[in-house]
Formats: sequence, C-alpha cells, structure tokens
Amino acid sequence: VRKHSQHVKLFKNKGKDETTLRRQRVEVSIELRKAKKDEQILKRRNISIPLKEESPSLGGDRADELIIQLSLEKIVEAVNGDDTQLQLLATQATRKILSRHKDPPINQIIQLGIIPRMVEFLGRADNAALQFEAAWALTNIASGTSEHTRAVVDGGAIPAFISLLSSPHMHISDQSVWALGNIAGDCPLYRDALIARDVIPPLLALVSPATPVEFLRNITWALSNLCRNKNPCPPLDAVQKILPVLIFLLQHEDKDVISDSCWAVSYLTDGCNDRIQVVVETGVLPRLVELMDSPDLTVMTPALRAIGNVVTGTDQQTQEAIDAGVLTVLPRLLRHTKPVIQKEAAWTLSNIAAGPSQQIQQIITCGLLPPLVELLDKGDFKAQKEAVWVVANFTTGATVEQVLELVRSGVLRPLLNLLSAKDSKTILIILDTISNLFLAAESLGETEKLCLLVEELDGLEKIEDLQNHENDMVYRAALNIIEKYFSGEENTDLEPQTGQDGLYDFSVEKHDFNF
Amino acid sequence: MELSDANLQTLTEYLKKTLDPDPAIRRPVCSLTAEKFLESVEGSQNYPLLLLTLLEKSQENVIKVCASVTFKNYIKRNWRIVEDEPNKICESDRIAIKANIVPLMLSSPEQIQKQLSDAISIIGREDFPQKWPDLLTEMVNRFQSGDFHVINGVLRTAHSLFKRYRHEFKSNELWTEIKLVLDAFALPLTNLFKATIELCSTHANDASALKVLFSSLILIAKLFYSLNFQDLPEFFEDNMETWMTNFHSLLTLDNKLLQTDDEEEAGLLELLKSQICDNAALYAQKYDEEFQPYLPRFVTAIWNLLVTTGQEVKYDLLVSNAIQFLASVCERPHYKHLFEDQNTLTSICEKVIVPNMEFRAADEEAFEDNSEEYIRRDLEGSDIDTRRRAACDLVRGLCKFFEGPVTGIFSGYVNSMLQEYAKNPSVNWKHKDAAIYLVTSLASKAQTQKHGITQANELVNLTEFFVNHIQPDLKSASVNEFPVLKADGIKYIMIFRNQVPKEQLLVSIPLLINHLQAESIVVHTYAAHALERLFTMRGTNNATLITAAEMAPFVEVLLTNLFKALTLPGSSENEYIMKAIMRSFSLLQESIIPYIPSVITQLTQKLLAVSKNPSKPHFNHYMFESICLSIRITCKANPEAVGSFEEALFLVFTEILQNDVQEFIPYVFQVMSLLLEMHKNEIPSSYMALFPHLLQPVLWERTGNIPPLVRLLQAYLERGASTIASAAADKIPGLLGVFQKLIASKANDHQGFYLLNSIIEHMPPESVDQYRKQIFILLFQRLQNSKTTKFIKSFLVFINLYCVRYGALALQEIFDSIQPKMFGMVLEKIIIPEIQKVSGQVEKKICAVGITKILTECPPMMDTEYTKLWIPLLQALIGLFELPEDDTIPDEEHFIDIEDTPGYQTAFSQLAFAGKKEHDPVGQMVNNPRIHLAQSLHKLSTACPGRVLSMLSTSLNAEALQYLQGYLQAASVSLL
Repeated sequence: VRKHSQHVKLFKNKGKDETTLRRQRVEVSIELRKAKKDEQILKRRNISIPLKEESPSLGGDRADELIIQLSLEKIVEAVNGDDTQLQLLATQATRKILSRHKDPPINQIIQLGIIPRMVEFLGRADNAALQFEAAWALTNIASGTSEHTRAVVDGGAIPAFISLLSSPHMHISDQSVWALGNIAGDCPLYRDALIARDVIPPLLALVSPATPVEFLRNITWALSNLCRNKNPCPPLDAVQKILPVLIFLLQHEDKDVISDSCWAVSYLTDGCNDRIQVVVETGVLPRLVELMDSPDLTVMTPALRAIGNVVTGTDQQTQEAIDAGVLTVLPRLLRHTKPVIQKEAAWTLSNIAAGPSQQIQQIITCGLLPPLVELLDKGDFKAQKEAVWVVANFTTGATVEQVLELVRSGVLRPLLNLLSAKDSKTILIILDTISNLFLAAESLGETEKLCLLVEELDGLEKIEDLQNHENDMVYRAALNIIEKYFSGEENTDLEPQTGQDGLYDFSVEKHDFNF
Repeated sequence: MELSDANLQTLTEYLKKTLDPDPAIRRPVCSLTAEKFLESVEGSQNYPLLLLTLLEKSQENVIKVCASVTFKNYIKRNWRIVEDEPNKICESDRIAIKANIVPLMLSSPEQIQKQLSDAISIIGREDFPQKWPDLLTEMVNRFQSGDFHVINGVLRTAHSLFKRYRHEFKSNELWTEIKLVLDAFALPLTNLFKATIELCSTHANDASALKVLFSSLILIAKLFYSLNFQDLPEFFEDNMETWMTNFHSLLTLDNKLLQTDDEEEAGLLELLKSQICDNAALYAQKYDEEFQPYLPRFVTAIWNLLVTTGQEVKYDLLVSNAIQFLASVCERPHYKHLFEDQNTLTSICEKVIVPNMEFRAADEEAFEDNSEEYIRRDLEGSDIDTRRRAACDLVRGLCKFFEGPVTGIFSGYVNSMLQEYAKNPSVNWKHKDAAIYLVTSLASKAQTQKHGITQANELVNLTEFFVNHIQPDLKSASVNEFPVLKADGIKYIMIFRNQVPKEQLLVSIPLLINHLQAESIVVHTYAAHALERLFTMRGTNNATLITAAEMAPFVEVLLTNLFKALTLPGSSENEYIMKAIMRSFSLLQESIIPYIPSVITQLTQKLLAVSKNPSKPHFNHYMFESICLSIRITCKANPEAVGSFEEALFLVFTEILQNDVQEFIPYVFQVMSLLLEMHKNEIPSSYMALFPHLLQPVLWERTGNIPPLVRLLQAYLERGASTIASAAADKIPGLLGVFQKLIASKANDHQGFYLLNSIIEHMPPESVDQYRKQIFILLFQRLQNSKTTKFIKSFLVFINLYCVRYGALALQEIFDSIQPKMFGMVLEKIIIPEIQKVSGQVEKKICAVGITKILTECPPMMDTEYTKLWIPLLQALIGLFELPEDDTIPDEEHFIDIEDTPGYQTAFSQLAFAGKKEHDPVGQMVNNPRIHLAQSLHKLSTACPGRVLSMLSTSLNAEALQYLQGYLQAASVSLL
C-alpha cells in the first residue's frame, strides 16, 4: 500500500499532494457562461403593489395615477421643499417609478440628487409614512448595479437604516432589513461597513418565535448576504454571532427560510479550513445532510453546496461530513435529473475521494461506485468532468485493492470513452488516471491484463490518436502511456521500438530469461 | 538602417539574389552571401519596415512575395522576447509594425495576405491582447467594409489567433482573453454571419460571388467552434436560435453552382457542412442541456444529408463526421426515442450503414496498387476517419440499445447480399465482401491485436457463417480468384480465432498455408499474419493451442511456402512473412532441424541482400530473431553444429562490419554473443582476431552498440579470459578504457559495471593487478563528483563482488592504500546507509556474501577504529535480508533517464531469442546467504571467543538480534 502511494508521488503526481487534490469551489474567477440560475438572488427590488392599508395616507387609485404623472422636476422640487405632504407624495411617486415592473429609471432618479434628502426622511420618526416610502425607494435604488448601491451608501443610508431596524413599525423595520440586505450583498466592503456599524445585534433581535414568516424570510435573506462573499470573508466574531441564529432558522418549517439559511451556511463554508471548522463545530452537519435529501430543489441546492464546501476541508472535517451521512445521500443526488445537481454532487464526491484510503473505503462501502460509473457514462458533460475528477482522486489515494474494486465496478469503459471529450484538461486527467491504474496493475503483476482491457474498450486507439493532440501536455501524457505499456506487442517484447535515428531503441530493461 | 531609397534598392538586390537558383550566388563560399547579408542586417532598426515597404510598393511581384516571406520568417525568429536574452526588435519598429500590418495585409493580394496573416498571428500569440489592444477593433471595423476579400482576410487572421482556444487548458489568463474577444467580436461576427447568409440568397445565381461568400461562412463556422469550445458563452447562449437555425438550414442547402466536378477534393459546400456537423457535435457533447431543443432537428438533417450524399471520395470527411455525430447521439439514453422506431432503424441501416460499407473503387485501387497502405488501414486499424469505420461505429452505437432489432435487420441484408453473390459470383463479389464486413462489425464488440475479437454479439452464429461462407472460398481450387474475398475470409479467421472452435482452426491451417502462394500481396500477407496469430494462441497450461505435433504433417510445406512467399513480387521484405517464419520456428522447434541447412542458406542470402540498404526495421528484426532461433534449436540438440553456423554467417557478418551497416551491427554482436556462448571449450581463434576491433572507440560512440557490445565482451571474458591475458595482454588497457568511457556517463555507467564485473570475475588476478588501484580511483572520483542512485547500486554490487573474489582484507588494504581511513569512510557513508537500495536477487546475494566476509574475515574490523562500524554493518546486512527494498529516489534525480535497474548481469534483451542465461557468480560458493552469515560468525567467534557475543549483546538492536538468532538456529550453530 505504502509503496504504491510512494510510486504515485514519485512518478506521476510529483509535487501534487492530497491537499492540492482537494479543489476549492473557484478555479477561475472569469466566467464565460450566463450567470448561474441556481444561485441565490443577490439583490432584490420590491416591486409588489402594497396593500392599501400600508399606505393609509393616500386615497384610491386615481391619486396613484396622478402621482405617477408627477414630472421629475416636480419631484425634486417637492422633495427639497418644506411641505411634508408634498414630500410624501413625491417620495411615493419616486418609489412607484422605481417599483415599475420593467426597466426602472434608477440612473435618472439618482441624477436628480435626491438621495441625501431621502436618507434624511428615514430619520423622520414622526412621519412613519414618509420613512416607509423613503426606505422603499432607497431599497429599490440599492437593488441595482454596484454603482446604484454606492449612490445609496454614499448618501449616508447605512446608519439611518440600521437605526430603523428598531423602528416600532414592523413594516418599516422590514423594509430596512431589505435595504440593508441589498447593501450587504453588493460587496465585502459594504458588508463589513454594516458589520462595523453593529448591524448584527438589532437584526438578530428581530428574530423571535413570534416574527411573522414573511418578515423572517427577509431577515434570513439579509443575514445570508452578511455571510456572503470572499476576499475577505466576513469577520470571525460576526460569523460567530450569526451562526447560532442560523442554526435555529434551519429548524424552521418554512422552506424559504431554510433555503436562505442554507445559503448562508454555504457562504460561511466557502473558504479556508478555519472557517469550515467554525461551522463544523456547531454540529450542524447532520441537519445539512438531512436537508440535502430534501425533495425541494431550493433547499437541496444550498445544502449540497454547504456540504460540498465542508469536504474541501481537512480530512477530519471531511470525516465529520461522512459521519453525518453525506455518503448515504449522494447516490441519489448523483442520479438526480438536474445536471447542476449531478455536477455539484460529483464535485463533492471528488473531494471526499481525495482523502485517505479509509475514507475511500467508505465511498466503496456506501455504494457510491455504481452511481459514479453511471454518471461517468451517461451524465451531462459538466457532471462527467467532475466524475472524472472523482476517479482521478480515487486512484491517487486508494489502496491497490480499492483501485481493483473501482475497475471491477466498470469504470474503465466510460472513462476511456471520455478520452474523446472536447476538453483538454479532462483528457489530461484521464490520462493521469490511466497511469495510476497501470501503477496499481503493475504492483499486482496484472499490467498485461489491463493493457488488453484498455485495448478492448477502444482506449488504446483513442490514446494513440491523442498523440496527435495539439495540446503539448496531452500529447506527451499519451505518448508516455503508449511507450510505457503498449509499445511491445507481447509480454516477451519481441517488437522493437524505432529510435530517433531510425534504429531500434535499445532500452535496457531487466528481464530474466528461461528458455 | 534608414528608410531610404538607397537602402530599399540594396535590399531589393539582395532579396533577388536569395532567389537565384545558383547556390554559388545564394551562398558563395567566400564572399558575403545574400542570405548572410540579410541575417547580418536584420538586427538593425527599420529593417522590418523596409521589408514592409518593399512588399507594398515594389514594382516586381516576385520581390513583393519574397519580401513577405522574409518578413514572416523574420517575425517568427525574432518577435518573441525571451527572458534573459536581448530584445531583438526595437520598440519603435514593433509599434510601427503593429500599426501598419493589418491594413497592409487586407489590401494585399492573396499570396501576400496569407504570409502577413501568419505574421499577425505570430505577433498576436505574444502581444494579444495586452500589448495589442486595438487589434480586435481594427479587425471588427473591417466587417463593415462589405469587401469580402478584406473580410476573409480578417476572418482568416482571427481563426489563426483563436484556434488555440480549442486545445489550451482553462486558466484565468486564457478566459480573460476569450471574454475580451467575445465582448468585441461575438456580436459583429453574428451580424456578419446573418448578412453573409442573406447575400448568399441574393447572389444565389452568381458562382464566383458564392465562392467567396461560402469561404467566409466556413471561416465563420470555424470561429464559432473556437469561441464556443472552452465553455458556452453567454452571448452564444442568448443567440443560439440565430446560429442554430442558420446552421440547420445551411446543412440542408444545396446549390448546383457550388458542386464541384472533382471527385477527390472536398468542395466548399462539403467543407462547410462538415464544420457544421462538428459544431453540432460540440454542442451535443458539451452543452446538451441548452442544445436539447435543437438536437432532433439536427439528427434529421444530418441523416437526410447522409442519405443524399454520394460515394465520391470528396464526401468522405463530411460523411464520416456526420455518421460519427449520429453514433455519438444514439448512445445517449435520452435520445434513444429518436431512433427506436422500427422504420427509422431500418432506414438508417439500409440507407446510411449499408451503402457506406460497400467496397468502393478507391478501396479496390488501394487493394491492388497500394497494398501496404491498405493493410495498415485494414489490419492495424488506422482507419479512424474512413466511412467504413464510421459506419461500423454507428452499428456498435445502435447495438447498445437495439442489438436485437439491428441484428435482425442486418441478417436479412446479409442473406440477400449472399444470394446476390451466389447468382453470379464474378459480377457480384462485392456483395459478399459487404456481407462479411457487416457480419464482422455486427459481431465484434471488443477487439485486441493480441487476441482478435474478445467479446462477440451472441445473436450472430460465427461458426456457422465460417463453415458455410468463409471456408468454401478458401477451399476453392484457385488461390488467385476473387482476392478481396480471400483476404476477407483470412481476416475473418484471424479476428474470430477465439470464437471459432479449434477443430475448425486446424482445418483452416492447410488452407492458410496454401494461400501463402497467392499472387495478391494482401492475400499472402494476411495468410502469413493469420498463421502467426494462430501460432501464438494459448491453450491449456499456458502452452500453445496448436501443438508442434499437430503441425507435423505441414512442416515442409509451411516452410517452403513461407520462404517462397518472400520471393513474390512486392514481398521481398514483408515483415508479416518474416514474423511468421520466426513464430513457426519457435513453435515447431526440433522438427525444423532437417530443413536448417536450406533455411540458413536462404536467411543468409536474404541478410546479404537487405544489408545493402536496410529499410524495413521490423523485417530485419524478425530475420535476426529467426537466425537466433535456428542456432539455438540446432545447437541444443547438437552443440557441435555451432561451427557450421559460424561458417555460414561470418562471411556476411564481416561484410556488415566492414561496410559499417549501422542498423545491423548491434544485431550482429548479439548473434555473435549467442554463438560464442555455445562454445564449451577455449575461445576459437577466429573470435580472438576480432577482439582488438571490438575496442575501437568509433563503435562505442554509438549508443545502440553499447549494450550488445558489452554483452559480447562479457562472452569473450567468460570463455577466453586466460587467452586474453596471455595472447592479448597489451589490449587490457584498451578494455579498461572502454570501462572508463562507460563509467563517465550517467546513462551508461551500469554497462561499465557489467564489463568491470566480468573482468574481476574472470581475468586472472595477476593480469589486472597493476590496474586495480586506478579502477578504484576512477570509481571514487565519479562517486565524489556525480553520484546517482543507479551508480551507487552498481558500485555496491561491484565492491562486494571484489570482496568475494579477492577477500575482505584485500578490499580494505586497497582502499586504505588510496587514502588513509578510506575503508571506514566507504563503510560508513556508502555501504551502511545505502545497501538497502540494492535490488535484484543475485545482486543482493553478492552484497550479503561480501559484507559477511568484511564482518568475519577482515581482522582490522575487530581491532582498529573500524570496530565501531562492525555492529552497524551487521545491522545493515540483516536489514538487507529482512527489510523491504528502499526504492526512494532523491528529488533531483527524478529527471535522469534511468533505463534500468542496474545489477550484476547484462540484462540487455533486444533479440529475445538471443537471450542470455542468468549468471550467479557466488552460486556455487553460497547457497543460502543467511546460513552463510551464521556459519561465518560462528567461525569468527571460535577464533576470538567472547568478543562477538559481547558486541552483539551490548549494541545490536533487539529485532535484528531476533532475526540473527533465527539464522543461527537454522544453521544449527551457536556463538561462543
């Protein structure tokens, strides 16, 4: 066993040790793809038409129309004027413009220069209606691009919104939570500015068994944005304050609350091992694994992400996830109909497979090999790529016996088929994996058997073809395998190789002959 | 250099001279040559700008072209800035080139445009995007020019810039670049695509305009492939409808004006459609989720395309791409439904698969006129891009879900094709060929060169088909009738040899032997190859399936026909036949002895003939193997026969050596080693005469000679050490010189040790006495200057062998005579820490016996300062016996070519049948080295009672002590 892993280190994965085999979530920060549809919503605009009783100061639909028709100049005039009634009307008009279903003119509104004034309105404790309308309008401005959010922050909105969290009017503190959520989600800088202004205690104080579920959803979402983003991660003491509440929220029956709590945990685990440790220590893993198995995609997706992040950690942290039962849930997820779930599940498994051989044994024992092979064979390409990583990591850390088990499970055929994948990296990893398999075969004296198997499955032909690949590393890896294992036609090595000079290569290999 | 008319004139003159067909002017011996001149000035500022000016403004077209080529080569050589090397092009020239080259390229005629486009992509590879930020905008702006000459120039350049996205690894840097390109390029490219398609319909009747427009479309389709390769870009996902709808309609498009008369060369329409198939396949493989809505349409379009495309060679790439697309889709579970309808399946089988399996005129031509290529494609499977192969893959793909129905449909076809054939064989033989091919592709699920088919479709009765349809062809009276069908039949035996029962194979053997006489190269080659494959099949107990006894009735005819086949036109150096000869010898063993005189004559004649101009390495190799087999088999029964072989071979060998036929010399040395080792008595004088020549440095400069020459010298030393010592003593320094030469090289040092070991083992001690000290000094020097694991392993084996041969005291004395305390240093720094690295049974045994001698037969180990090393050395020895081998290699050595686990023996093994027997120099002396250690310790303790026991009890670690007690017990001795 030892010997094998030493070989691996010496010859194939020189300099690649198990810690680097674990792949963190972000490999490249540049994306060519459309933003992922399965991500949590970063910023939200409040576009719902409020119920009448929430805007008691106004009368009827006719008034609404009238207000919307207020020109922008009139709005500026009214907002900057002293007439409270007009201020309210104008603010409300602004809010309504910004709540339009399509293409709200956020830029235009910002250019009016009324944000500082609106922020001022947030402080009008005497005029709840004005506070509310201003809060709503600012929420919607902050829901735009980073540029838009900055306009709100630069207008001084942060302290104003934080003090509104403790407003006696629930709809105002609700709207403030929303606005703060938008600001927190924009970038780590604003998130930390909020934390430095002590947003967390009043925000957490809003959570109680009596909190209406709509409100609780909003709070959970805002909390998740406070946990979000890396470089840097949120401050540790903030995380430690939020975590107990998140754990509490994870037990809630509302699936939106659970979903956003899971997202929050997934952000907290998306980082270095110390941060993972903080989450692991709360004992939340069993609950997350349970949620991973939820039939509801909105819950399952972030729970799977969170667990996926945990297993990028140390062997011990990964073991905690295994003990929490992740391996019993993964087979179902690997067979999920949604490609993104397959992919995420395979990624998770790839990091578990990067662990020591005891953990690899658990992968086998929990029956992960059959779904893995199926995925490799028939999965969506994104998921297949991850499945290739699983196999690669597996063959690097596994004992010879375990590698044998993997081969027995039929991994070779789909693995070799993927050599025609249109992705150089995947091809290279497969070639590395094949080399690993050969090392294992060599130690069992079964090299020839593996050679035949590879040839039967049309792998030899594919590897030979890769000797023409444009990518130099792929070409060399293929050549290396051919030269090492397939250049002799038979075990007696009758077939000579031709060297550069047209002569046979007289490689001096040791053999004992008995004729 | 200034940008002056005078300089332009000079440059023009020199460029003209480089074109001169007379090499004396192009490169005259003494005076400055034109090429040299250009090289000498290319470092000057403005030189590239002068070239650009010339290629734009020169009056003469040849100068323009010449300047453009010179410019491109200049860029290729100089543009890259290599770290730590001077910048070869000055910055202002770089800026000027980048500012002017794009418009210049676009306004140039095509010939020059191509050169400049290449130059742009070379520059782009280095500078784009950071150092050439406006390149993209500059190119994109040209799309609006409406001039398709210009547009195609831009597209071609873009293609050469972007095509690396298809094979490079994902990285932040790469993706940043792609993102930048997408932002600037994707929308204009899409608009251009749409506009070009519209223009195609407005110019549908203008052949020359269409040609230009279709060239653009091909380039656009290629760019699409490159830009979509790494991942599905947001832009293309949003615009998939536009692209895929248009690709789809282009696939179904036909225009008489674009059809070409050429049968071989693919036309624009074919190239475009072929690229679209690639694009669709890319999306189907990588972006299935997003592409799913479009896929069924493409399946239908591609299938229709196949049904309507002709048999001409020019369609080959398109057809095989299109079939491969279907093959990859039909294996996917969620597209199964597109194929499962019985009518669909029947139609695919009938209209796509069967027509593409037909033996075409081009195949027939290759079969007759280009047999070697035909064999290579057909036998060795280098047929990846052929139609037959694609059709075969489609059959296998369909069989994944529809094995039963597909087999059923094809059985019907096979029967009707066979009936057609039966009606009129001489006209309809191609029907039978297709039927055999169909059966083969249907039946074979997995295949290897070594075993043929290893998994077969159980729904096909292979033996029945063999008996009813294959054997009758091979039994027919004429071996030359319907050669293609004969070749098919022989190939059938070959690949299904593991499915067809043995009795059928035995029936086939005389038929195959008979077909060795066929005139067709393919047929007799296949016959030889089939025999060779049958002879390597294994039966029970790992023996050959077909026995020598079963072959007895055919020995004579087999050998006769094999050698006769070598005389058939086109097969005089046929490697398949030569390999079959070798394999037959190996199988038949002593039953070939009666034929040896004739065989060896024919082989030596062949050797003589091919040594004039060796061109077929495999043929030559098997020929030497066959010679070795003849020698071994004969001399095993009759050792005296070696003389007659020498007589037959030495004349040719001498010629080969004299004419310095480099390809054959290593083989000759091996055969000579084999012959020499056959001698039981003193070395014959004929060999001694050759001895001095073997030491010639020129021979040792060629790496290919080293292993066989070392082997040969070892044979000399084994058989003739005393003769060398007495009759060629003056050659001993030369022999040691060879050793020195080898030891100096990290790659060959183990070969040097093989030689040295033989010298120490076999030469009379007095003949090497005077050189011994030098030998060690040399080794120590190498140890000091460039020590490698391989060297240390060989060194350890050698010094222990020396110790065994000359005694431990001699070893200690010679070490300490080189430098005081040297012996202790070697023990402490080399032997004790490194002995665990020695590998190989014999090698370990030599070391064990040597160290035992040092421990027990070397007085200074008991009563000098070396005594402190006694216990560590014993511990190391027990470690050598009991611990696993230490196979770690220090990091810095990772990249040295370690070709071998070095050891005592020459393990050189190129000619398998010239193999050397294992040799154990301590074999007679010591059987079990553990017991030998126990006995030696016992002897030592008898000589100095108490000493050994007290050392052991105070210092040896407990585990080692336990092992040692085991040895003592096994040897039934105890220490005093």
